Amino acid sequence: MTTFVDQVREMGFKQAAIAKADEAVERITAGMNISDVRGALRGDEPRRPNPRLRPHADGFWLHIRPSFYHTEVTHFYPTFRLGWLSTFMFVWETITGIILMIFYTPSPLAAYNNMWNILANVPLGQLMRNMHRLGAEVMVLVVALHMLRTFITGSYKKPRQFTWATGMILLVLTLLLSFSGYLLPWDQLAYWALTVFLSGAEAAPAPAAVNENILLILQGAPSLGAGGLLRWYLFHVLLMPLLLAIFFFVHYYKVVLHGFSLPPGREKIGEDTAKRVPRTERTYFIPDILTSELMWSALTTLFLVAGALWFWDAPLEHHADPIVTPLHVVAPWYLSWSQGWLKLADKTIVVGFIPLLMVAFIVMPYFEVGKSRRYADRRVGLSVAFLFMAIMLVSNWMGSPEYRVESSAEQEVSQEILPQEGPSVLLGVPYEHMAPGTYLPGEEVAGNPHLTEALEEFQAAMYRHSCHVPGNQNERLPREWDECEIAVLDSGDKRYGNFFKDAVMPDPYAELVIEEFQPNLLKLTLNYEVVNPDNPDEMLVESDWVSYRHADSNYEEECRYANKNC
Amino acid sequence: MQVKIVIGTIAFMLTMMIMGFAALREPTRLEEYTHAFEGRSIENGAKIFEGNCATCHGMNGKGEECENTAGEKIGCQGLPLNYQPLLCGDISDRTARMNAMNWAGTKDAFVESVVAAGRGGTAMPVWSAQFGGPMRDDEIKNVVAFVLNWENDALCDEELPTFDWPTLADTFLTDFPDGDAANGETLYVSYGCSGCHGAPDGSIPANVGPDLSAIAVDGGTRIEDYTAVMYVYESILEPNAYIAEQCPTGPCVGPPSAMPANFAERMSANPQDMADMLAYLLGQ
Ligand code: HEC
Ligand code: HEC
Ligand code: HEM
Repeated sequence: MTTFVDQVREMGFKQAAIAKADEAVERITAGMNISDVRGALRGDEPRRPNPRLRPHADGFWLHIRPSFYHTEVTHFYPTFRLGWLSTFMFVWETITGIILMIFYTPSPLAAYNNMWNILANVPLGQLMRNMHRLGAEVMVLVVALHMLRTFITGSYKKPRQFTWATGMILLVLTLLLSFSGYLLPWDQLAYWALTVFLSGAEAAPAPAAVNENILLILQGAPSLGAGGLLRWYLFHVLLMPLLLAIFFFVHYYKVVLHGFSLPPGREKIGEDTAKRVPRTERTYFIPDILTSELMWSALTTLFLVAGALWFWDAPLEHHADPIVTPLHVVAPWYLSWSQGWLKLADKTIVVGFIPLLMVAFIVMPYFEVGKSRRYADRRVGLSVAFLFMAIMLVSNWMGSPEYRVESSAEQEVSQEILPQEGPSVLLGVPYEHMAPGTYLPGEEVAGNPHLTEALEEFQAAMYRHSCHVPGNQNERLPREWDECEIAVLDSGDKRYGNFFKDAVMPDPYAELVIEEFQPNLLKLTLNYEVVNPDNPDEMLVESDWVSYRHADSNYEEECRYANKNC
Repeated sequence: MQVKIVIGTIAFMLTMMIMGFAALREPTRLEEYTHAFEGRSIENGAKIFEGNCATCHGMNGKGEECENTAGEKIGCQGLPLNYQPLLCGDISDRTARMNAMNWAGTKDAFVESVVAAGRGGTAMPVWSAQFGGPMRDDEIKNVVAFVLNWENDALCDEELPTFDWPTLADTFLTDFPDGDAANGETLYVSYGCSGCHGAPDGSIPANVGPDLSAIAVDGGTRIEDYTAVMYVYESILEPNAYIAEQCPTGPCVGPPSAMPANFAERMSANPQDMADMLAYLLGQ
């Protein structure tokens, strides 16, 4: 054994240091010395025996990766890099999630304040939160698209049925991972989305005792509270990621074992040649795939950072309140389809149907045994898939806020102008332009374009929820509403409708009152009055909607984001 | 491959630049969000105050105009909160109310403690869920932020009038001989007496303090050698001096009395109010 000192004596310090560095690099890369690394980066031919294969054989990190790919599968088509991207998103979520964990306590007493602390006291905290939450949504999308592509290219067919089955489990875990994180901010959005979800669990087609106990396990107590939050936190940071990691390795092991499937047209029907790669068709992991993956990592990071900083903002509503049900409870978009189904069918049926559907998806490749992966031979299969997607899109729309159970017309208007949660055009008006006074919808306020714009929005919302009864003696303010479509109900009452809705306000009066209330605090009131067109003594609607606005509350800032409606 | 290395490197550098840009902006952004948090806390507090506190303290916190849930005017049971002695501290931010109540902590904690734990023996209820009330901690914090937000320069710079109340009612009445009983009735509502002692017309019965409809007679029987005028005069100025026996819900508690001890201060601006009130209470 020659020691470093011996080496220095033998070849001088400089040479000895270089030799030492070379040795270190070779150890770290598990087989490639400095000149091998340089050669690989430069794109030179490797020496023989090929040192670029050694990291796969001897190294921990690369032993799971194949040392070469079929060149046909390294292009954008057929993988669209979606499987890789799913993996990237999982790593991304883990890193940003661990950072957020540092500032989070899973307790109803602390969680919501923790969120504000992350926004207001943690440097780059908002960026971290946005990146994590944006990442969660992107991951769901990417995994779903990856599933779609493996279906379309017929990659689920023999011998890859089991890869598909583990993939389905990964999809469910991804959804649960995303959704379990939803509760953690402990705001109204989180609390009510989960409450709706759990009420689904309660309606499962099983004996009541079973359902009750499942519900008890899921929320830790008869109602969602401290115990429930802790459980969902542990699901989110421990159980789900652990399961996902395990199934990911099973999934990926199978992927490597069978090789990535070639584009369907590239092999004979019924043959699977992915593992027989001629020398001329090989693309080696080092350096080509590795540099490609590093480039995609850098690009994806760039997009996610820029998106989270400039274009998208994680929502944070008011503190969770079990007593105050929001006007519109919405599920996250990736579960919106289930809310859509709930509007069509009985809860128990829907809740029973979803697990059946999942099982059907898992076992699908074992029953769909058509030999050909070519598109032309799979017209029926592909059509069914696109039909299914169309159904999902329609269901998603039906579950979305656009297609919701309407509350009364004046509440809908208020919800657009001064929503219970989040910003609006009116809240986005800079504070100094919120001049106290009484304003009518559509009024033009001289020298105040911001407020004028908000009042236009008020008018537009009123227009959608109002109509005019010709010859109405009790009309308060002639405004340009469309003519009412009047329906007489069984009870004898009339219902006034317009082009947009069945139940709107006939010739309503509405105003916005802005009052100075406290130093730097305004009181905003929307007043509505609707006189029965047939009876001047009867008020059909007489209500107000109050909201407060502080000079520093800074809804203007929120309005800059693409995912905020103002 | 070389192209990919270049694209990857550029993307990485751009990401670092964006992060750097975000980091430069951070101090301003953090400050904005800190203010936004406080601002929204006050907004939420306003809603809570409107729904829970305005019936006793008045929507404007002056303790003068209160409405019940049906929108009818009622007397205010609570103390004024939009009020210099509660909100405006001296150089070390100690307020008159903190001194009067022997509170050792900070001003914010003083208000928070009253709201959270209520004030025993008075109509001020317990609010915090920790002590058996209906509100979560964040709601308490919000409504306290709202109450404290009434503090402003105009309120604090205002000279509070002081009036040296004579010990004896008779001495006072020689200076203010002409009491207007009709105005006294209005004041009886606007000072909030009716909130505890019942509406003058009997539409709302006495619920905290004794019914006063017969005080012109009973007042003379409470303390030896006291006439009804002397007694009522003292009862208003110093509720703790003598605790009446029978309150609507049982024996009256105290001292300290459940009746606020700040009418001397509040009537200082206009001592004639006392004369009118006496005329009303004793003339009926
Ligand atoms: C049922 C009537 C009632 C309601 C409702 C009520 N209060 Fe009070 N409050 C009182 C009374 C009476 C007092 C005076 C106690 C005393 O005499 O010391 C008081 C005192 C206070 C004080 C202390 C004032 C001081 O100068 O010592 C604060 C602060 C206060 N209330 C805040 C609130 C808030 C905030 C709410 C709503 C969450 C509220 N109160 C609801 C009756 C009420
Ligand atoms: C927060 C409720 C409250 C308010 C407001 C209030 N009082 Fe009282 N008052 C009481 C209570 C409780 C007592 C009985 C305990 C005591 O004697 O101090 C009382 C006692 C009295 C008494 C003695 C009654 C007796 O039968 O001996 C008089 C007189 C009186 N109040 C007048 C007034 C007047 C005048 C006002 C308005 C300026 C007023 N009070 C406002 C609660 C209130
Ligand atoms: C967290 C979720 C997932 C991760 C991280 C993941 C990862 C991967 C990766 C890295 C590949 C290599 C090929 C490629 O990049 O396309 C792959 C292939 C595959 N995945 Fe997934 N996957 C996930 C979810 C799914 C889902 C939901 C399905 C379908 C139900 C699925 C089915 C498949 C199949 C069939 C292949 C083989 C494709 C082929 O050989 O061409 N995976 N997966």
